[in-house]
Amino acid sequence: MNHTPPDNASPAQPGPARLLIAGDMGILVEFGEVYDPIINAAVLGFDAALQADLPAGVIETVPSFRSLLVRFDPLKLAFDRLWDRLETLLAARDWYQTPPPQNRRKWVLPVVYGDQRGPDLAQVADMTGLRQDQVADNHASQPLLVAMLGFSPGLAYLGQLPEIWQFSRKTEISAQVPSGSVLVAVRQTVLPSTAIPTGWWQIGQTPFLSFNPRAKTPFLLAPGDEVRFEPVSEAVFASFDQDTFLRESTP
Amino acid sequence: MSGLEILSILPTATIQDRGRVGFLRFGVTSSGAMDGYALAEGQALLGNGPDDAAIEFAEFGGRFRATDMMSVALSGAEMQARLNGVECGWRQVVTLAPGDVLDIGAAREGVYGYLHVPGGFLTETVLGARATHLRAGFGHVLAVGQTLMAGDGQRQVARAGLRCPAYFDQRVIRALWGPQSHYFTDAERQRFAKAHFTVTKMRDRMGIRIRPDIGPIHAELGLSIASDAISPGDIQITGDGLPAVLLADRGPTGGYPRIATLASVDLAVLAQIPTGQEFTLELVSRAEAVDLLADYRADIKGLLGRVDPLIRDPRQMSDLLAYNLIDGMIAGGPDDGEQG
Repeated sequence: MNHTPPDNASPAQPGPARLLIAGDMGILVEFGEVYDPIINAAVLGFDAALQADLPAGVIETVPSFRSLLVRFDPLKLAFDRLWDRLETLLAARDWYQTPPPQNRRKWVLPVVYGDQRGPDLAQVADMTGLRQDQVADNHASQPLLVAMLGFSPGLAYLGQLPEIWQFSRKTEISAQVPSGSVLVAVRQTVLPSTAIPTGWWQIGQTPFLSFNPRAKTPFLLAPGDEVRFEPVSEAVFASFDQDTFLRESTP
Repeated sequence: MSGLEILSILPTATIQDRGRVGFLRFGVTSSGAMDGYALAEGQALLGNGPDDAAIEFAEFGGRFRATDMMSVALSGAEMQARLNGVECGWRQVVTLAPGDVLDIGAAREGVYGYLHVPGGFLTETVLGARATHLRAGFGHVLAVGQTLMAGDGQRQVARAGLRCPAYFDQRVIRALWGPQSHYFTDAERQRFAKAHFTVTKMRDRMGIRIRPDIGPIHAELGLSIASDAISPGDIQITGDGLPAVLLADRGPTGGYPRIATLASVDLAVLAQIPTGQEFTLELVSRAEAVDLLADYRADIKGLLGRVDPLIRDPRQMSDLLAYNLIDGMIAGGPDDGEQG
């Protein structure tokens, strides 16, 4: 019996990409079955190309780890026309060679690691083989890319951390974690914008809020954005002001 | 402006409109009325616009007092309705005088009933829609003691009604094979296609757990695929083999294999099937589903022309549905939601 590879596996030959019918109002452009930065870059590159010249009748496109869902109104845009258009775009180049977006926004987000902001830090230290004081530095040592938003409003999935971060989620869903929690597992970081129940390990928290439905720009982090975390003190967290932050940072 | 004071309400009652569209890439699903056809019926009865918001009741209504002279409309699942204690009909306009009390009780058929006011309820707009999404914390939360203001529509509308559409009796739900149906063996897909499903009590605006009479559905592969976007009406098979149909307030993304997706026109039909009742699936082609959608849109467009003046005082008629015996030509039913 065949088994799909685990979440972190890098298929030697990703693809080929394929189109799938997703209900009577959707076409799914599937670039792979797993999360892999190469597959995700293909999704985001394809999405950007489609968005640059969006056919009338497309309602929205939804990028994820491994696919792009194109939602459309089949009474305004004939299925065959959209299918042909997507096929042509797929064939236009090798999407698996897509580099991260050149003009991507680069965020530096302050994080308090450990203690009550990151109650699972000790266990994560055990699983990574790092000392507790090294976990934050290792987590913050590389820029990560927003692979997709999902699960709850504004929640960002970021990848991809080094191999030592390859461990499973908890076996049980914990009680609610607050918005801004920095959650890790399977070489990914999850940044929720609302309080959520979760099975991911909570190693820190940022005072930055990516989603505010009442703000002029309700969603700040978007797929393809780059995020680097910066360890800060509780005092910096306490004095964080989102408006000042947004004025002073130029992602 | 006229308003309705809430004298009693259940937490399952919410403000709903056509839903918010275009935010799925940010993790926000549409929400919106579970029965888009019923929403359109109410708009037609009052001459409201397509974006106006109504109160959606799940299985049981609430009690309301008018602050001013106003006409309201009732649509969707027929519920017991009394105006100042006297039975009044469903799927029609009811005119309230100041101080009149409208009492909406248990559903007699279906699940989701709607109360509309002229111009819609003027509650808070979040991301372009009034639809309440309780789990995400979007939109107005109804509570006893509030007075909900109505919009700018005509405050009084001639007494009028619509015939009961046929979809409340529909127990064959149209669906397409889903984008992950290849994770299931041919034999398993055949078993799934022939199964009788029971609507379980694990149901809400997020989705419905349905119990097949053939035991668990087994996904051969695909139980470790990475998450991607979920379409409205996707039927996902979780590890325990029980299917769940994902609806208006669903999570935006998921990683369980989805074996099938409901035809858009049958989303509301399924949502209106009472808990404990059975249905079967009919797998249709994409082209057939689009034809159904075209018929459905045409049907909704025609609603305004089918609003009939009521000849008899509806307060005297306890059997309005039986009275309207002219065959209900209204096929299908539902929330194709995102017509943009």
